[in-house]
Amino acid sequence: MKISIRDAGETKIVEIEGDVDLGTSPDLRRTLFDSLLHAPRLALNLAAIRYIDSSGIATLIEVLKDSQRRNKQFVLFGLSPAVRQVFHLTHVISIFQVFQTEEEALGSA
Amino acid sequence: MPSDPRYLPVVRGAICALSATMGWDESDCRAITLALDEALANIIRHAYHNRADGVIEVECRETADGLEVTMLDKGEAADGTRICARAIACDQPGGLGTHIIRDVMDTVSYQATPAGNRFVATKRLRKAT
Repeated sequence: MKISIRDAGETKIVEIEGDVDLGTSPDLRRTLFDSLLHAPRLALNLAAIRYIDSSGIATLIEVLKDSQRRNKQFVLFGLSPAVRQVFHLTHVISIFQVFQTEEEALGSA
Repeated sequence: MPSDPRYLPVVRGAICALSATMGWDESDCRAITLALDEALANIIRHAYHNRADGVIEVECRETADGLEVTMLDKGEAADGTRICARAIACDQPGGLGTHIIRDVMDTVSYQATPAGNRFVATKRLRKAT
């Protein structure tokens, strides 16, 4: 799994590439929690994810709850059909703000 | 496979390829792969407590009506009262994996045996008529 971070105004955009599973989700967790400390808004690009398991989804739920505690915003964009399927299987898609594109995600502030 | 998460992609690749060869479509192959990956992850986390030096025997067998997968480990036995104990469709991060397994597979069983903990899951292949 590769993770990159860039700034777009007040939003930190985190991009992930590869597989998010039991072995890699701790790295994603650390990155997202750290990024959330340094920006009022965090947008996660899931377009280049090939695979995500429940540990990855659990990580996103933890980050979402932390963002709510801190009065910050955490949004997702670029969900492929494969990733969307996992969100539906875990019945948690409705708790996230999900956008198709980066432009839409950035425009939602 | 060793109880090391580094090997999960290897097994996922094999299960996905097997499911496709047996005739499931892309969406079903992804779901079956996810469910069985969740079962392996549960064994690593809960039976072996994230120790990487355990062994998980994985057997995939084509049956008359579909796929049967057996996983055998020698870690701590699962607590049956805690499997699927949490409600789904809420915003708690834990316990999602066992729900995925039960949603995707047709039958699922957990059994402590003298040879170790035995997980068996089956999925029927519904052939087009």
